Amino acid sequence: MNKVSSRRFLAVFAVVVLLVGTLAGAGFAEEKVIKIGTLFPLTGPVATAGQRCRAAVETAVEVINNSYPNMNIPLAAQEGILGGHKIVLVHADHQGKPDIGKAEAERLFNQEKVYAIIGSYNSAVTKPASFVAEMQKKIFMCGCSSSAALTERGFKYFFRMAPTDKTESHEFVEFMKWMNETRGSDFKTVGIIYENTEFGKHAADEGKAAAKDAGFEVVADVPFSPGATSMNSEVQTLKAADPDVVFGACLGGDYTLWVRTMKELNWLPKAALNYCTGYQDPMITRQLGDDANYFSGGMGYAPQFAHLMPDVAPVEAIYKEKTTPSVPFDSDSIQEAVAMFILAQAIEKAGTLDYDTVAKTLHENVWDSPLSLGGKVEFAPDGQNIRARSFLTQLQDGEYTIIYPEEFMQAEPVVPMVPWDKR
Amino acid sequence: MIVFLQVMVNGILNGLVYALVATGLSLIWGVMDVINFAHGDYLMVAMYTSFWIGALLGVDPVLSWIVSGAFLFLIGALTYKLIIRYTVGRSAISALLATFGLSMFLKNVCLYLFSPNFRLLSKTVLGGKTIETGGVIFPVPQLVTALGALVVIVLVYYMVKKTRLGWAIQATAMDKEAAELMGIDTERIYLLVFGLGGSCVGIAGGLLPSYLAVHPEVGLLFGLLAFVIVAMGGFGSIPGALFAALLVGLVESFSGFFIAPVFKYVAVFALYLLVVMVRPKGLFGW
Repeated sequence: MNKVSSRRFLAVFAVVVLLVGTLAGAGFAEEKVIKIGTLFPLTGPVATAGQRCRAAVETAVEVINNSYPNMNIPLAAQEGILGGHKIVLVHADHQGKPDIGKAEAERLFNQEKVYAIIGSYNSAVTKPASFVAEMQKKIFMCGCSSSAALTERGFKYFFRMAPTDKTESHEFVEFMKWMNETRGSDFKTVGIIYENTEFGKHAADEGKAAAKDAGFEVVADVPFSPGATSMNSEVQTLKAADPDVVFGACLGGDYTLWVRTMKELNWLPKAALNYCTGYQDPMITRQLGDDANYFSGGMGYAPQFAHLMPDVAPVEAIYKEKTTPSVPFDSDSIQEAVAMFILAQAIEKAGTLDYDTVAKTLHENVWDSPLSLGGKVEFAPDGQNIRARSFLTQLQDGEYTIIYPEEFMQAEPVVPMVPWDKR
Repeated sequence: MIVFLQVMVNGILNGLVYALVATGLSLIWGVMDVINFAHGDYLMVAMYTSFWIGALLGVDPVLSWIVSGAFLFLIGALTYKLIIRYTVGRSAISALLATFGLSMFLKNVCLYLFSPNFRLLSKTVLGGKTIETGGVIFPVPQLVTALGALVVIVLVYYMVKKTRLGWAIQATAMDKEAAELMGIDTERIYLLVFGLGGSCVGIAGGLLPSYLAVHPEVGLLFGLLAFVIVAMGGFGSIPGALFAALLVGLVESFSGFFIAPVFKYVAVFALYLLVVMVRPKGLFGW
């Protein structure tokens, strides 16, 4: 072998060795990965909310995969779980459509081979997507889908972090009773406006049941098609019935249209209490400006709760970098981060990826959750987080202000709402 | 009685906006036999144009509709030059598929550029203002948008019926080859018609951000209603589009209030099916 040939041989040999080393390294790294699927509406009418939910899960994964010793969050001090396994996310978009959600859940499990799915924001999509997981005996972590029906199916591998519409409905009527007793508000009648979807219909059913049980009369039941070009008929129906309190389940652009149409038709109830909807979206309320004030709704988180949840701030700083435009956590997105943290904690505690063991671990333990109001997560046999809490807030001067329960009250509730012509 | 009048006013105001959106579609459909699937997305682009002019330059939609109208004229003309021109004389499905592609393109460009966020102009000159007469409330943003729509429709109708250009458009619609033999530059007429169609929807879209949030899906239902209106009114008939749009607005409003809000689009589409079954060429079709 002459000098040139031997040099060439050495060069080729070095390249081969490096290549083999790299591939072997990649193979090794691949073994230390746990793939988790996210399934949110990244396009379509509620895409903004979906993209924020995705950013929240990404934030949680960043904290879990890297070391943040200064954060007072479980798993933040270590890198990865199960002895260095990193979590890798595979994102899917269901566009707010149940059929696409089901197909994407199947794709995530069967083709992408994800370990579990986190999602899906819309209750209507969470229902079939989690059914796919249950059939395959795989875990589905649900952050904020609020339809109570989701945890009434007897599923073993389904876990939900947020309070349900049922919980919120009870909070609404408790608030109304408290206002009647302590403030003489004289609430007697209730109207309900809701989008005609899985989420809206269940919220309305729970709202009507809770109101009737508490002795309030439901005088208006107003479903509407989401994405409508106008909401004149809906608001006029409410105006004609003139309920004292309106329970609202209007998402995104429908919420702004509802508020503005009420202004145009110069009508307001004494109080408007909103489920998990456009009310909780800080960007929408900012765009509505002064018109957004004095509306109310249940919230599991708002930046104004910072003094009650001091450990959220450093995590929220990461989240803000992942959202465009930069926004703080909202009541929905933070629940998706909680879902990721709790799943990771359960895998770590179980010490295995065996589905039954992890599901059993999830059921049998009370989890530390600094991102949850109340600080703990605990699942009932049906998969509902029984420690889930929310406060009733009211927008006052553009700030989410806690008005109920009384021990956490930040300001006196403005009831009746200030009329449009006096603002 | 006041409630009845209020419901009627709401229906008429909505109907006039639908009419302007549908007039653009009707013109294109009537003259060129082209189904513009991207019509709803034209509206969305016009709304974004007006929104950004308002958000960045502080110009209110009461003025920025001029820019949206002109911009959509350009988009319409470009659509013809770059896409539709190549489908003329081929099967009708080719133009339909081409405009469907354009629809996807426009939606995704806006999704990429502006994100799916709902965008609302917080302070507008007309925002929140109302006029009350005998207990009936006229929301000023809707009133101005509806009156603007009516003026534009009348102008377009006058142009088509009373000017030489309009006669040329009608001639081209009736018989392209005969029109060419008469010395009409049909290529230019097609270009102009597509531009005018874009302009109509551009003006409507320019005015809407006074009260409606903008997002990439906003044109979907407007586009669908425009198709229904054009089919009901008769292809190519501007008075037909106006009449059908008012009918749609009123049916939507009355059924929404007196039956159930969730029923309003059911009633509109049921009416559409009825008209198509009884009179397939539309109420004013020929």
